[in-house]
Amino acid sequence: MIRMFHVYKNYPNKIQALRDINIHIKKGEFVFLVGPTGAGKSTLLKLIYRGIVPTKGQVIVDGINIARLKPGYIPYLRRNIGIVFQDFKLLYDRTVYENISFGLKAIGATNFEIRQQVKKVLNLVGLEHKRKTKPHLISGGEQQKLCIARAIANEPLILLTDEPTGNLDPYTSWEIMKLLFHINIRGTTIIMASHDKLMIDKAKKRVVRLERGRIIEDTQRGIY
Amino acid sequence: MIFENMGFYFREALLSFRRSTLMSIATILSITTILIIVGMFLLISINSSLFLKNLESQLEIAVYLEDNISKAELNNLKSNITSIDGIKEVKFVSKEEAYRRLSEDLGEQKDILSAIEVNPLPASFEIQIKDPKVIEQIANRVAEFKKVEEVEYGRETAERLLNFTYIFRRAGMLVLAFLVFASILIISNIIKITVYARRNEIEIMSLAGATSWFIKWPFIIEGFLQGFISAIFSTIILYNFYFFAVNKVHQAIPFLPLVVDNIDLLPIGIAIVLLGSLVGILGSMFSVGKYLNV
Repeated sequence: MIRMFHVYKNYPNKIQALRDINIHIKKGEFVFLVGPTGAGKSTLLKLIYRGIVPTKGQVIVDGINIARLKPGYIPYLRRNIGIVFQDFKLLYDRTVYENISFGLKAIGATNFEIRQQVKKVLNLVGLEHKRKTKPHLISGGEQQKLCIARAIANEPLILLTDEPTGNLDPYTSWEIMKLLFHINIRGTTIIMASHDKLMIDKAKKRVVRLERGRIIEDTQRGIY
Repeated sequence: MIFENMGFYFREALLSFRRSTLMSIATILSITTILIIVGMFLLISINSSLFLKNLESQLEIAVYLEDNISKAELNNLKSNITSIDGIKEVKFVSKEEAYRRLSEDLGEQKDILSAIEVNPLPASFEIQIKDPKVIEQIANRVAEFKKVEEVEYGRETAERLLNFTYIFRRAGMLVLAFLVFASILIISNIIKITVYARRNEIEIMSLAGATSWFIKWPFIIEGFLQGFISAIFSTIILYNFYFFAVNKVHQAIPFLPLVVDNIDLLPIGIAIVLLGSLVGILGSMFSVGKYLNV
């Protein structure tokens, strides 16, 4: 599903964010990206959804070389990728329902499809009863669930999450994790950047460790 | 795709007006103010242009004729003058007419004329011309005709006047260009702020896989509406203010030429509406483009 060959990424301030990254993530895998702040986790995620292009090397996502992707085709790549951010990026002047329908409308779904899908994902994350509430009136855990619901609403092949449990208590974090496992079991490839030792050790999934832009460890059923 | 979603784009644009009412009102007020300033300058400039034209049209050539001119020569000369390019009107002033005018001008002192036995004033043609710039050339040509005693056109006055109107017009154009340029910058910056306030939406849509045009359209419509509504407001305010001012001026100086014909004022209205709408559209288009590169 995702392959990287000798990928380097330098930022304009001469910081080498990634150095010689080689990785292969198969369809349906669940992968933790771990490592200290500034190790390059977010940069790696950005490469996958083509938020940036590599300085050197190849990034292949679902058979597409993202460096050669013309700008006009980027939206179509992104329709296969759901993204969950640590800072949520929700629209606080719209309801829970509208936050999800907004993204679906943006990719050209019909009103009927939107109603069906929003209902489905709200049920999945357990927010159906809050559909008319504005996001600032629900808890942090619920906001994170809303982000996940929005990210999976169009049933993407890949789900990228950047520290989704970063600001949550252990109980809520585990709830989010269970939700992500559930989504993973249905076939979505999930890559999760995280610092959450407790969750990672408990999950027993593949762990890729980054340090100063290099992959220094890649283990199946790893621990933090 | 574009027309399929037009309904959605319009709804989004209108929703955004409603969601951020205060911001929209502030935006419209600011753009209205700037367009009023541009409009005022345009009004001043068409009025001064009319004033200058009036001034220039008062330039005329006086052709004094020899006393021994015959009727046939007179007709011949008149048709010769009329056939010159750029002549608007040729009027014959007979010796008697000249005498009558002079005595009128003298008013109470016209008794002076009784000391003179013969009418000393020559007959003349008064020539009005279409373009005051060629007054010298025409005067020189007329001077070459037979039976023309002297040609007079107030050479120095004419030159000074033409110089003045030339500089005045050029300066006006320069100020206008500067004003329009400045207003474009200011309006597009105001629009940029409204787009900046919604950069999250742009980012989220872009990451969800919306095409750039899908993201741009609601903003373009919103920018157009903001510019258009502001332009309409400024036009209404300017129109009312202008006619109020014209009335006041005419009470004070009744004969001052001012543009009062709606047809003459229409281009200014159109210019303001175009300026507002176009800058609204382009301003939002470019501003959204800036936030699209996530």
